[in-house]
Parts: sequence; C-alpha cells; structure tokens
Amino acid sequence: MQKKVAKVKNKNVQMTKAFILDVLAWAYMALVGYKVIYDKMILDNRYPEFSWKQPLYALYFGVVIAILFFFTNFSLGKGSLGLIKIRDEESATAKPFALIGYLLIILTFVTGFYVSQVSLKEFFSAQGLEGAKRIFTALFHPNWSIFEQGLFAAIETIYMAFIATAIAIPIAFLLGFIAARNLMANNPVGFFIYTAIRTVLNVSRSIEPLVWAIIFSVWVGIGPFSGMLALCLHSIASLTKQYSEQIESVDDGPIEAMTATGAHPIQIVWFGVVPQIVLPYLSYTIYRWDINVRMATVIGLVGGGGIGNLLMQYQGQARWNEVGLLVILIAVIVWTMDWASSVIREALK
Amino acid sequence: MLEIKNLNKVYPNGYHALHDISFSVPQGEFLVVIGLSGSGKSTMLRCINRLHDPTGGEILFNGVDTTKLKGSALRKIRSEIGMIFQHFNLIPRRSVMANVLSGNLSRTGIMKSILGIYSTEERERAMKYIDIVGLRGKEKNRADNLSGGQQQRVAIARALMQNPKILLADEPVASLDPATSHSVMQYLKKVNEELGVTVICNLHFLSLVRQYAHRVVALKGGKLIYDGKPLEINEEWFKTIYGEDAVEVTIN
Repeated sequence: MQKKVAKVKNKNVQMTKAFILDVLAWAYMALVGYKVIYDKMILDNRYPEFSWKQPLYALYFGVVIAILFFFTNFSLGKGSLGLIKIRDEESATAKPFALIGYLLIILTFVTGFYVSQVSLKEFFSAQGLEGAKRIFTALFHPNWSIFEQGLFAAIETIYMAFIATAIAIPIAFLLGFIAARNLMANNPVGFFIYTAIRTVLNVSRSIEPLVWAIIFSVWVGIGPFSGMLALCLHSIASLTKQYSEQIESVDDGPIEAMTATGAHPIQIVWFGVVPQIVLPYLSYTIYRWDINVRMATVIGLVGGGGIGNLLMQYQGQARWNEVGLLVILIAVIVWTMDWASSVIREALK
Repeated sequence: MLEIKNLNKVYPNGYHALHDISFSVPQGEFLVVIGLSGSGKSTMLRCINRLHDPTGGEILFNGVDTTKLKGSALRKIRSEIGMIFQHFNLIPRRSVMANVLSGNLSRTGIMKSILGIYSTEERERAMKYIDIVGLRGKEKNRADNLSGGQQQRVAIARALMQNPKILLADEPVASLDPATSHSVMQYLKKVNEELGVTVICNLHFLSLVRQYAHRVVALKGGKLIYDGKPLEINEEWFKTIYGEDAVEVTIN
C-alpha cells in the first residue's frame, strides 16, 4: 500500500518536471523566434526594443502551448523523461516529441550564427583580405633585431611559471590531504574542514587566472610578480584537487596494515598513503608547470609581465614584424615544454 | 590470553555482522576460524585489533578490555597484535627492509620514521625476521616485485617486527597457489611453535585446517556454531557450516 503511494507520488513529481521542461522549451522557442528570427532577420531592426515584458509574454505563451500539447506525443518533457511509451521496434528519435527537440536545436543554431555575427561577406571582402595579407607578410618576416629582448622576456615567463609551480607544490601537498574525502570525512569536524576547503578551492578555480592577474596587477603593480601570484593561486587550487583525488583513489590495504601495527595517524599517512601517490603527483606537477608556461604567456597580455607583455606592447603599436618574432618564440617555448613534459611523464610511468 | 565475550557488530547501514560471539584463546594456540564468505570471519578478526569498532560486548586482551581504548592506549594494544592480510598490503615501491621496519612504527618516533632513521638494533632485528621467513638476500628488493608467497612472507616478517603476542591472519593463503599456500602456512606454524606467538587464522580450505589448526571455531551468518577439534568436523558438521550443496575441495 505504502509502496503504491510512493510510486504515485514519484510519478506526479516526474509529470511536474516534464511540464516545467515543456513550458521552458516553448517559452524559449517563442522568445528566440520573436527576437531573432522575426525582429532581426525579417524586420532587420538594427536596435530592436527590449523590455522585460517580452520574456514574460514568452513564458505565458509557453504555458499555454505546453498545456495544449502536454497530453499528446509532442510533449518534449514527457518524452525526455521517459514518460511516453516507446515500443521496442520504434526509435525514440522518430517520435513526434523528437521533432520539437530538432526544432529547438535548429533555432539555437540559427540564433548562434546571428549572435556571433558570422558573415562570409566580411571574411572574403577585398579590404579584409588586404589586411590579412599585410599581417601575414609581416608575421612571416619577423624582426630579428629584437630577438634578445624577446628572449629575455621569454626567460622571465619560464621562470615565472616555474616559481609559481614551485610555491604551489608544498601548499597543495598539504591541502591535498585535508581535501581528501577518505581521510577527512570520517568525523563531523573533519567533514566540515573538508567541505570548507573544497568550496574555497572550487571558487578560486572557477575564476580564470586571467582575472586573478588583473586583480593582482592592481594589488602589487603590473609586472611578473602579479602574473606569478595569479598562476600560483590557480596552481594551488588545481593541484590540490588533483592531489586529493589521487589520495581518494589509493588502495586501502597499506593504510589498514599500518593502522594494525599501531602506527600514529601521521605515520599511517606517510607510510600507507604517500608511497602510493608520489608518481602521479610528480606527473601532475610537471604537467602543471607546462600549463603554467603557456598560461604565463597569456597572462602577460593583461600586465602579468614576460613575453605576453611585450607582445601586447608591439601589438598596440601595430608593429607586426616584431609580433611575428614573438609569436615564433612563444611557439618554440610551448612546443619544447610540451615535448619535455610528455617525455618526463612517460619516463615516470 | 584473549577472551571474547558477547561480541556484537552492527554496521552503520544496519547489517548485523556478528551476533553474541564468545570464545577464548589460550596462550600459544593455533586457532583457525572457518565459515563461508560473508559469515563475519574478517569482521571478527578486525574487531580484535579494532580496525573495526565492535558495537557490543567485550574483548579482553591479557585482562584489558580493548573495546573501550582510544588514542595512544589503542595504538599500544595494536602494536602487540600483528596482522597479515589476504592481499598482503605491503607498502608499494619500498624495499623488503623498509616494509619489515614499518612493523616497528609504534616504537619509532614520528620524525625519525619519516626521515628514515632507524637504529642498528632495529635493522638487526628486521634482518633476523627476514631470515626467519627465508628471504635473506632479498632485503633490498622492491617488495611489490616479489611473488605472492614471498610478499606474504614479508608481511609475516613485518608482523613479527612488532614483537606481537598474538598474530591475526585474515585468509593469508586465499590469493596464493596450493604449493605456496603450504609454504606460507608452514611459516605461520613455525612462528607459532618456535616463537610461541598465538595465531588466529581465517581459512577456507578444510585440508589446511586439519593440518595446521589446534582448534577450530566456525561462524555462520555472524553466529558461532562450532568450537572444537579440527578432526571432529565430520560430513554432518561440514554441511551445517557450508550448506547442503557444498562439496569439500582439498589442496595437497
């Protein structure tokens, strides 16, 4: 009896979800269809009016249409939640609700094209091709007289990435244990610390190093130091995540064995966990350095020092021959680092 | 020396693994625990050295109730109870010597053990146990490169390094071939007879039980259903312990 009630309740929840999905799908299609297809493409309004009433009306429209179609096979929500019976010999993609799905995808595709301002006319215009020719010619005739300047900037970038990684390693090493579920989540205090650390790391990781570099360039001034700080912060967050995931996947056996000898918890971690994670740690760390060198180049663009900074300066002055040289230098560095890190990681296996 | 009284274990998910288990083990005995997989053998063994926490009952180890201990007192008791495992559980990528020395962690300082500073006395003792399990000359080899039987012998040496009063063996030969199984059992017998260490061992094969056990207890569904001499397990008892359809498999 109780089971039956639960089943009915579950079905109602699924139906509600399906209905909400239907409403949202129809409202989206109405809004996009009106704003992009009708307003922009058919009327060709350059600056179409927008008011918050429009999405509201779209929502009303969505509700009405959703109610009309909810009990037919055109309900996308019911279809995608598996509430419409599909016989074995039928394919779900041939069902009426799938048509609504296709329509949704096509509308999104058209809108995407429009929003990205994709234009073959611009791509192949005489003026545009002229500009492309000029910049490519310059890029292929790099100005070797700034080679030294570029080289020093490149060295700055590599060392900046190295220091950022080096400082991040011990911090991430310690945080990795605290952020590992299997070591921490056994008691309430540990679980709280684990959750707090994980949250802070996830937030700092979700902010791009580029943004951190901007923040730090205001904080400590434009230059390699701000770039280094940005990379360091990002490396700590990323390495801690990878380290802790590695710890979470260790074999429990040695931990159990060390516990059984009467070892202290610190000894249990050192002898039961650490030997299992050293190699993957090294591999992740070298890969992180490789990533940091690449990122350091980009970070230079926003004032983080190094070769990216130089690139930004010459690009601002439209000195494409100099830019050409720097691009070659960057390519060489990235290739070398990529190659070196893959060789080292292969050797560590 | 070991007395178990009304031991109960209920897992957090509600599974009642052990029901009111009581028995005692005198000094120097070779006790074998038998029963089907899932009958609670491993859980019971792990309750003795508190790798699992029992939810009821007492375990008296030389008169001390281990079920109430915490922190350093618990570690002290654990250091007197050696344990070997089905999958050996050695430290990967470390030498045989380092693995055997790790048995002594409870008596080495934390900093010293992390820095790898061991006294000559400790090293000599480790060598002695490596010798006892017949692995002299292998002490510098990486433990995970040894064969299964050799790895289990390293595990025995590591347990001996603790100077244990009692040795728990959780299906020590279940992942070994028959010939190696006998060799490992021989070493356990040697430890029991020559060093006087009490052994409690979980086993699957009755032929090994008859050969090595002084006494047998059998678990079924978390209850103790047999306690007696190995040779007294007849056809009828066998069917009771392992079920009607079971057929005895021997290894020689």
